[in-house]
Amino acid sequence: MLTRKRQRISGAALLSLLLLSACAPGQQGSEPEEPAATAGSEAAGSEAPGSEADVAADLPDEIVVGATLPLTGEESRIGGFYKEGYELAFELENEDGGLEVGDQTVPIRLELLDDTTNQATAVSLAERLITQNGVNALLGTYSTSLVEAQSTAAEQNQIPYVNGGGAATSIYARGYQWVFGNLAPIELLAETEMTWIEEQQEAGNLPTPAKIAVVWENTSHGKDFQKGITDFVEASEGDYEIVVDESFELNGRDFSALLSEVRASGADLFMVDAHLPDYITMQRQYTTAGMCHDVITYGARGPEADAREALGDEGVAYILSAVWWNAQLGAEGINKEFVDAFTAKYDKEPEWYHAVSYEAARALFTAIQEAGSVEPEAVRDALAALEMESLLPGGTLTFPEEAGFQAQYPFVVQQNTPEGESPIIYPEDAATGEGVAPNPNCAEG
Amino acid sequence: MDQFLSLVVSAVLLAGLYAAMAYGLGLIYGVLRIVNLAHGGVIMAGAYTTWVLFTRFGIDPYLAIPIVVPLAFLFGVALYKGLVRFLPRGAAGGVQSLLLLFGVWLVMQNVAYLLFSGNDQAIRTSYSTRGLSLLGVIIPLNRLVVFVIGLLTLAVLHVLLTRTYFGKAIRAVAQNPDSCTLVGIDVERIYTVTFALGTALAGLAGLLLSTLFAFNPSAGAVELLKSFVIVVLGGLGSVVGIALGALVLATVEVFSILVLPSFLTSAVGFVLLVLVLVFRPGGLFGQRVLS
Repeated sequence: MLTRKRQRISGAALLSLLLLSACAPGQQGSEPEEPAATAGSEAAGSEAPGSEADVAADLPDEIVVGATLPLTGEESRIGGFYKEGYELAFELENEDGGLEVGDQTVPIRLELLDDTTNQATAVSLAERLITQNGVNALLGTYSTSLVEAQSTAAEQNQIPYVNGGGAATSIYARGYQWVFGNLAPIELLAETEMTWIEEQQEAGNLPTPAKIAVVWENTSHGKDFQKGITDFVEASEGDYEIVVDESFELNGRDFSALLSEVRASGADLFMVDAHLPDYITMQRQYTTAGMCHDVITYGARGPEADAREALGDEGVAYILSAVWWNAQLGAEGINKEFVDAFTAKYDKEPEWYHAVSYEAARALFTAIQEAGSVEPEAVRDALAALEMESLLPGGTLTFPEEAGFQAQYPFVVQQNTPEGESPIIYPEDAATGEGVAPNPNCAEG
Repeated sequence: MDQFLSLVVSAVLLAGLYAAMAYGLGLIYGVLRIVNLAHGGVIMAGAYTTWVLFTRFGIDPYLAIPIVVPLAFLFGVALYKGLVRFLPRGAAGGVQSLLLLFGVWLVMQNVAYLLFSGNDQAIRTSYSTRGLSLLGVIIPLNRLVVFVIGLLTLAVLHVLLTRTYFGKAIRAVAQNPDSCTLVGIDVERIYTVTFALGTALAGLAGLLLSTLFAFNPSAGAVELLKSFVIVVLGGLGSVVGIALGALVLATVEVFSILVLPSFLTSAVGFVLLVLVLVFRPGGLFGQRVLS
């Protein structure tokens, strides 16, 4: 009797808990709206393109762009950054009434859902946005794994998908025709860093040949980084030698054995690709072990405030990093306009996440305007042919077909200073400071 | 030779951390026969509690032990009284306990996301990156302290379980709860305190982890899996078995880098788990885990 009662009570408790846990992620920040009755959007998706006048006549009263972002869950912090970038782009575009499509000005609206940092949710919500909400195009989510999964839904439903959240080349190597990415590949990140290193080597600041320890997270992100360095080393004809080439699992707890191998290798350059928590953990163990290399990098990681807080300015001093964009580029032109608008709206300085998400939205807007239509095929073609003035390094954004419609542009290289700053040190035309090699920490012993 | 010595030190220090992570899980499983999937959640909560005490009140992580451990103990009492005690005992409660405690873990994780967002946090003290040099090998101070705390915990648990009436009662209940009832042992009280003690140890593990690693609300999953491997390796005979299981796992993981790619080191532990379950289900040092 008692057992049965216990079973009933525990069953009820279990059900309540599971319901609570199942509901929790979706409620935070997701605010999913009911399927929007976007007048004309279905027609826009089904009508064949015609003359400009015909197309204009078929335009909806409102253009709706769908997107999902990880607003809760593991990537919620970055997801929040992308939300800010997207929302700023939509707000600025609607200030003058919306997009100029043909001879009409049409307001544009973002329909944003929370994919809870879950691949399956990202895919199902994208399908819902396409099939039920009838959105005209999609903006991508954040993180390689989510973009990789979600972009398949866009390709299958043949709807333009522009993302600023997936940099791995594997996303763009699948021959997809509807998926466009404005994050330049990680291989270029590694190549840009190596180019700066080569300059230092030619200036006599680094040894020739230089021994490199390449340590990378075991993800497509990390593999691209490793490939970028390996390709550069192979092309260098003996200026570099890779003495350690090891990968590690995400969210590692103990890197002491790996660091011990790096120490034993006698490497001059310690080149790592890691996400923030692994960067913090590894750099702490590295510093504690008294290790030092002429050049040290964690790929795109380095100047983050969280890392400075966890390791101290001295703990991250002289770390080299390369990112897709930096607010220090915002001294003039459209970069300045973006930085000013962002700072006015959010009362903080934008990070590269904000810039690439803002730029992804702007690329889609530009393509719709150039297509003169929201007809998916026309927008896709416009994206494929896009050549837009851009915030991103190089100043022009294109989606080259030979790269699977992934943008290609140089990264900006930064180096942390002991004073807590991270000036751009490369390329020269964007530099706000001068890089230092070899690492002065090593000379101090 | 230097690298070998360095790996030995790494393995021993890592074993201290692993043991601290696994004591709580082993104790609860050994006595209540429940795989506490909320163990990872409590580790995460312990790390966040330590972080809050450090950042808001400036309390050093190690000085926060007298706060974090009792808080985790009370949470364990509440969890047991509120949920776990309603579960059927023995094999009948296996699936239900897994689902229930997994649900608790998810709730804890999502509460942490609500409270702290998904940002990575870390604790930096004046000694976070200090090390001691011994025979040419640098021993990280923080890791050494964690190792010592792991050893102390082992000693305290061993004394508690073997030298005190209460500890003997715990062991008796683990062997035969029905007979314990007949001889006047309050089995329900033993279960409550054991569950709370296991939870408190998980909280302590979270505190120790927070001094070494960056963490976010998803932390605890890796620790739970490794703890499970250690409990199976060590068997259920004693906390000493768990400590030895931790040493085996740490040694295998650390030294595997000499023959395997680094990213496979975690997998080595799980291969070991499967081998032990197949060839020595009682664990390397204790009683049978699977009957």
